[in-house]
Order: sequence, then structure tokens, then C-alpha cells
Amino acid sequence: MNSTTLAVRHSSPGSWLTDLFWNKPGLFIFCLLLPPLLWLGIIYIGSLFTLLLHSFFSIDEFSGLIRYEFTLKTYAELLSPANFDVILRTILMACAVTLAAALIAFPIAYYAARYANQKMKALFYLGVMLPLWSSYLVKIYAWKLILAKQGIVNWVVEGTGATFLLNSVLSLPVVGGNSLAVSYIGTFIVLLYVWLPFMILPVQASLERIPESLLEASGDLGAAPKQTFRLVILPLALPGVIAGSIFTFSLTMGDFIVPQIIGSSRRFIGQAVYAHQGTAGNIPLAAAFAVVPIVVMIIYLYFAKKRGAFDAL
Amino acid sequence: MSVAVKFDNVSRRFDTEVAVDGIDLEIQEGEFFAMLGPSGSGKTTCLRLISGIDRPTSGHIEIFGVRSENIPPNRRPINTVFQDYALFPHLKVLDNVAYGLLVRGVGKPERHREAEYLLEMVKLQGFGQRMPAQLSGGQRQRVALARALINKPRVLLLDEPLGALDLKLREQMQEELKTLQQSLGITFVFVTHDQGEALSMSDRIAIINEGKVVQVGSPQEIYQSPRTRFVAHFVGSSNVLSPELSSRCNGIEYWTSLRPEVVVLGDPGQGRIDGKVKSIRYLGASNYVSVELGEQTIGALVNANEIAAPVGSTVSLNWTDDAQHLMDEE
Repeated sequence: MNSTTLAVRHSSPGSWLTDLFWNKPGLFIFCLLLPPLLWLGIIYIGSLFTLLLHSFFSIDEFSGLIRYEFTLKTYAELLSPANFDVILRTILMACAVTLAAALIAFPIAYYAARYANQKMKALFYLGVMLPLWSSYLVKIYAWKLILAKQGIVNWVVEGTGATFLLNSVLSLPVVGGNSLAVSYIGTFIVLLYVWLPFMILPVQASLERIPESLLEASGDLGAAPKQTFRLVILPLALPGVIAGSIFTFSLTMGDFIVPQIIGSSRRFIGQAVYAHQGTAGNIPLAAAFAVVPIVVMIIYLYFAKKRGAFDAL
Repeated sequence: MSVAVKFDNVSRRFDTEVAVDGIDLEIQEGEFFAMLGPSGSGKTTCLRLISGIDRPTSGHIEIFGVRSENIPPNRRPINTVFQDYALFPHLKVLDNVAYGLLVRGVGKPERHREAEYLLEMVKLQGFGQRMPAQLSGGQRQRVALARALINKPRVLLLDEPLGALDLKLREQMQEELKTLQQSLGITFVFVTHDQGEALSMSDRIAIINEGKVVQVGSPQEIYQSPRTRFVAHFVGSSNVLSPELSSRCNGIEYWTSLRPEVVVLGDPGQGRIDGKVKSIRYLGASNYVSVELGEQTIGALVNANEIAAPVGSTVSLNWTDDAQHLMDEE
């Protein structure tokens, strides 16, 4: 065969493009990735950078205008007792929600991964995902009605005569309040509810990936079931738990709607950002507040990566 | 010699199928026992019933004379080398091997010393600090073996342990396993679908098909006197003569097995029956000559130095009466 017979196959008009891509696979990949890269680069990284930049400016107390000079004054302001409380409160809440989510998610995920048959598994996925498909705001307002003084929880508690129990919980300092709907406990319950699916799914995936034969081998070698759980299941599921905790932790830390609607009036980081960039017009402080979760997450992700959390995504 | 494992009319049913169907079997202490059968015949289920990972739906399994259905696997003097090795991916090789001692509460220095010793025994000294993922298939297989031996089991179960290895490594491991079994003196129960492996390694073999034991015997008995057509087909490249063909050759209307190495080729009309040479396969030391007899073919193993009849020519087939073996149909 000679080269002319090979070269004459240019029949359709677009075939030169096919040839070009075939000869330069790198160009093809570049064309594929260009739109998302532009989007991520300009919209996401760009705005993040602007945010970071603003956090190094400060606000003029008299005029209320932004002074475009680099300073660490705004960051110092973060450390004032009132602002630092907001940060601490948010991180503690994120930790509490993450911990509780892990504890609740594990048995559910374990059941789905190890015991559920095909039909139950379909039901499981539906049950976990369904809340994600309905509006976030609707869910939170529904919870407000559930937790309010005249809500379902109170009604059930009164019906069963456990009022003293609820009252003693609500009378706890700091976390308690007038009703569940205006207490930290309420904020915690609702945050836990909205972010729980993000914990269940990766944990379930990591548990499902543990081969049955490893558990059999463990028992065969003399391990009692609880030893198998501690020595085999838990370490192998840990990356899934960490992957889930990245979601629950970061989502809780950034949430500003749940604490706004349900909880005491004390602010979380998200609310602080919202307030400072809006009515207060203090963009630099809002930016500095917004940098906090980013830094916390970077530290968190660094340790998560070390534990192999991204293998379970 | 006492009985290590006894199956007493054991059955294991899953929803719709019967994996093990009323098996009676005795495995002697200290023997190398193979369970040989095609995939899906129930041999792995048998192994899981011995180890306790699975439980019989009916019948009893006795381990050293003790009925064991209600004894969980972690309290049986039995360990298993799993088909996929089932090494713990998050533990170092040394900790994998030492696992059996860890769960028994043995202290770290002692269990690591013992694990090092076993790694040495399977020729993997110095590999203790690696992760299982960093090992080759053959090395993983040895780790699985060392791990299963650390508790000094009285019975070691091996579930197709050589299946994933290439031919050369497999032959080497066959020898090593046999030597190991002889030096340790413990009972090995070995599941395989490779008849060559079973024949070369075992003291006794149980042929299993469709959940039933078809024949139990020494490799020689199994190879030379297959009890049924299935055994003859499965175990060797034996010729199986239909009753009709058998009656034409020897006047006995019965299923008959005939090993290719006993068949002698001759000039037409000189033997029991004449046929046409269909193909000749060169096997090195010998030629495998397929001779067509109407619907059936009979294979003959002929010394490679002998001048074989060319393909298409007519030859006679002959053999002595004691070389043929009558079998049950099933």
C-alpha cells in the first residue's frame, strides 16, 4: 500500500479536526478543559483572591470607607473577645455536628453496606437522598415548627409526661433556652439533620468496599466479632468517616441560614460575614471572617489527606 | 491415626440451590487431603463448613471428635488460607502474620518474634515492614500461609491457594506446601479444581460434583480406577468408551475407561478395533494420537521416537484386559 491511498480519506469537512486532535491529544484535552478552567479560574479563584485581598485592608472608623492599604489590623480585630467568640462557637458547633453525624451515620451505613438486600438498599438510598432533593429553606422552617414551643416535640413530650426532662435539658446553661427552636440544641439538631446524608454516603461506600473475606479471615484467625470491628472494620472505614466529616464540618462552618432561623441570637461565622458585608458595610472584616473557615478547612484537609480520606470519595 | 474432620450427612442449602448434599467424609489427622471438583461443585462450601465461617443446614461436622456446628470459627483449632489471600490492607506484613496472636492477647515482642520466624519459614525474611499491596502474588500467598500457621492450627484449610499464580511459581509452591505439610505434620485440606495439582500433592482425594462426594481414594486409585464417567472425564485425559463401543471392543456392554498410555497402535486388523488417525499432537516425550472410531475418538499416548502412522491412515488399537476399567454411568 502506498501513502497516497492512505491520505485521500478526507471525505467529510470536519475530518481535518479529527485528524488534528488525533495527532495532538494534548490539544484535545486542552479544548475540553478550557471552559471549566476559565470558570474556576476567574469566577472561583479570582473571587477568592479578591476576598483574601480585602481581608488585608481595613475600614476607616470615621468615614466608614475602605482604606486600601495593606494592614493586619482587621485580622487583629478578629481576635477581639466578641469576634473570637463567634469563631470558637462556630468551630465547636462544627465539631459537635461532625461527631454526632459520624456516630449516627455509622450504624445506618453499616446496615446498608453489610445486611441490606437489593430492595432495602434502594429504600436506603431513597431515604438518605430524599431530604437532599427538597428545598433547604422549607426543611428548616419545617424544623422550626417541629421544635417551637407549640410544636410537635413539645406536644409529644407533654403527652408522654416527660416535660420535666425537656425542661431540665432546656435549663442547661449556654446550650439551653426558652424552647428548642431558640436554643443551641435546636441549631445543633437541625444542622445535624441537614448534613447527615453527607456523612452516611461516604461511610457506606467505604464499608461496602471492605471485602467479606477480610472479616472471615479475622474470625478464622481467632478474633471475636468486637475485635474484628476494632482491628479491621473501623480502620478500613475511617477514610470514609473522614471524607464524610469534611462535608459535615465545612458545611456546618459555612452555614448562616440555620442559626439565623433556629437558635439563640448569638452569631456564627456565616452570619457575621453576612452582617458585616451587608448592613455594616465592613467588607474587610467580612472577608477576614470568611478566611477563617478556609484556613481551618485547609488544616483539616491536610490531616484528612494524610489519613487517606480521599481514597474513599 | 485419628479422624481430624468428619462430615456426617452434611448438607448446606442456599435459598434455591443445594451447595452440599448429604456428604459423609472422614479426613484423617496428618494427611494431605484434596477436595477436587469443578467450580460450583460445593468444595469451597465444604471448606467454609469446616472452618465455621458457614454452618450446615443439616447434618453434623465433627472436629477431633467434637460436634462443631455451634462453635464459632474463632474458637476452632483450624485456620484458612483464603483464595484471594484476604490480607489486611491496612496492616504491615509483620502485623498481618502476627494478627492471630494479637487477638489472643500475646504481647508485642513475642508475637513479632514469632511472626518473623514464620516469615523466615515461608522465605520472606525482611519483608515484614512492607504493606501487602507492595508484594507480588506469590509473596502474598506466602504471607497468607504464614498468617494461617501462626496459631499452630491442627487443621490448615487451603482454598485454591495456587490458583492465581503462574505455572512456574505454582509448581514451586506445590513442592513447598507438600514439604511444609510433612515437616509440620498437621492436616492439610486443600481445595482445587486442578486435577494435576490434586494428584501430585495429596495423600487422598475426594472428587466432588454437584454437592456430592463421587469418589474418595488415593491419587492412584482415583486415576487408575475412576468410579464413574464423571471422575474419568474430570481427573485425567482418560478415554471413556460408551457401552456400545465397549461391547464392540471387548464384548462387555458397560461404560469403560481406558488411559491413553495403555493403548497400543498397530497395523489394521491386528487389534481390537480399527480406526482412522484424526490428529497427532506432539507433547515432547510422547505423541498424543487421536483415532476416530465412528462417533467417538480414542487417544493413544505413543513414544515420540516411534514412527507414528500419518494423519488419515487406518490403524488398529489394542490393549490388555486389565488396562480397561468399568465404571458407573453417573
